[in-house]
Amino acid sequence: MTRKRLAGLAFLGIPTVYLLAFFVLPLLSMAVLSLWRTENYHIIREASLGNFATLLTEPAYRTFLMRSVVMALSVSALCIAISWPVAYAIMLYGGRYKLMFSLALAVPFLTGEVLRVIALQGLLGPMGIINATLIRMGAAPLRFLMYSNVASAVGLVYLYLPISITVIYLSLSNSDARLVDAAKIFGASPVQAFFQVTWPLNLFGTMIAAVLCFIPCLSTTLVPRFLGGPDGTLYGMALSQQFGESGTWALGAAMGVVLFAVSIAATALAFRLDLRRTGYSGLGRS
Amino acid sequence: MYIKLEAISKAYGGLWAVDRISMDIGRDEFISLLGPSGSGKTTLLRTIAGLERPTRGRVLIDGADVTALPPHRRGVAMVFQEFLLFPHRTVAENLCFPLQMMKMPRAEIAERLKWIAGLMALTGLEDRYPSQLSGGQQQRVALGRGLVGRPKALLLDEPLANLDRELRQEMEVEIRRHQRELGIPFIYVTHNQEEAMSMSDRIAVIRGGRVEDFAGRAAIYDRPRTAFIAQFIGRSNRFEGTVSPDGSAMDAGGGLRLALVPGARTASFAGSRAQAYIKTEKMSVQPNTVTCRIRDIILRGAYCDYLLDAGGREIFASRPRSEADLARGDRVTVSWPAEAVDIFEPDTPRELAA
Repeated sequence: MTRKRLAGLAFLGIPTVYLLAFFVLPLLSMAVLSLWRTENYHIIREASLGNFATLLTEPAYRTFLMRSVVMALSVSALCIAISWPVAYAIMLYGGRYKLMFSLALAVPFLTGEVLRVIALQGLLGPMGIINATLIRMGAAPLRFLMYSNVASAVGLVYLYLPISITVIYLSLSNSDARLVDAAKIFGASPVQAFFQVTWPLNLFGTMIAAVLCFIPCLSTTLVPRFLGGPDGTLYGMALSQQFGESGTWALGAAMGVVLFAVSIAATALAFRLDLRRTGYSGLGRS
Repeated sequence: MYIKLEAISKAYGGLWAVDRISMDIGRDEFISLLGPSGSGKTTLLRTIAGLERPTRGRVLIDGADVTALPPHRRGVAMVFQEFLLFPHRTVAENLCFPLQMMKMPRAEIAERLKWIAGLMALTGLEDRYPSQLSGGQQQRVALGRGLVGRPKALLLDEPLANLDRELRQEMEVEIRRHQRELGIPFIYVTHNQEEAMSMSDRIAVIRGGRVEDFAGRAAIYDRPRTAFIAQFIGRSNRFEGTVSPDGSAMDAGGGLRLALVPGARTASFAGSRAQAYIKTEKMSVQPNTVTCRIRDIILRGAYCDYLLDAGGREIFASRPRSEADLARGDRVTVSWPAEAVDIFEPDTPRELAA
């Protein structure tokens, strides 16, 4: 065997083994578990589709899933909508502080997720800074901020915004800004140049940012637990309860399988775009 | 004049990248802005395009003052050194981009596409993406995109710098032909004197943000106006010395005397220090005498460069290969007509530093 082939095997083989061991196997065990049953904290190994039937027929689970999908969609859309102007402004006006700005985006990650969510609870809750100030000023508190889906959405946007800004910023800084000059020379106004060149060339990066927001939002448990209200139970939260309080692991596993399927479907949908239309050059010459 | 630049200046961080440049360019002229990198030629081109706003001065195109207009309202087109084709668009879509921006009717766009693809020998490649094309094909798409909208002028920013020599020479002929046929001014930025010489009607030699000379290409080559042009254009031997009091010759030291053509220009140097340039191809080389020794022979294809050792002084002479059968170590004489000597004031220390 040649050196080159050995190197190729090592570079591709080690990650493959790692993924198989720590990603594919657990996932498979989940899939198997989803076909079994749990009774009184005991696993009963009888294959059936009962868990999936429950998920389909029980209105609560459908509601949780729909609510989660809508939540994840809105949060990703919001993240993208906020990230673009921020990333674009860093690109255009960051000057020599560009690097500093982009590193500053990572600062929130220096604290744990729980801490960040609790800090946000302190801001949005009934006695949080916003509402306490309003009450002290004699105004009515903003009810939609107190333990609601809006509060959850605010929290999720806050959690995943740094990721989406960073991804879009990287995409922008890797795309050739001189192409915009070219578009202007050939008659495009600044707005046209943006939609004809900048947007399509960064669509791939935008999609990655959106998917990176969408998937964790879909399975989030922390945020709705701390910020969501009585009608704020999200799918991921319900899922974690199966493994916790209720001890219905098999149903939880089935929920996990459904979540995985939805995530895969969403990702597949997002990347149905023709990569060449985004100027993606990783395809090589054909 | 069709394009008029009036005392264009552009400041960058306290330095004048372009310093009071004025030029008049006719409707069917091929102009080259020739200069070393950092001379301000690209900045000047981008100012004409509207990608840079001049700090001072005005740009007029076809009688209209466009100084304040953004690039997309100037009606000029540009070909870039790195081609800058839109990677997410096919060849056809790249070519049609200027037309779409003009909101041209579909049928007319199709017609124009057919015309330009034929003109640029791109027929059959319309559905490819730029990454699927060779360098020469990408260059032709870039040129086609520049010409398809029938712009008022085509600005070319070192468009051939990324092509290999053979392809470059082919494209030189092609670009010149398109300029002739379309009858619009081409303004061509390059640091490559061969490109400037082979295509231009007139050449502006730019140095340090200023125009050293703006004249016909033959004049630029044969009668350099400044010492910088003499050493920048073509290849020359440089001599330094003192001009005799009667202005008939320059003593270059080491017993070397350069005869000068009498006239007002040489007379003005009488008795003072001067530098002289002689183009290498003006030197003729004869065997069987003892003045020089051939130290090396560099083959350049149709001609060769003789590196001559004249008593410790290096002199280059370019001669056709067929002229003489000489070998390394041969003793030869080297001579040149007095008209070949271009004489200038010596470099000032300031210029040496620049």
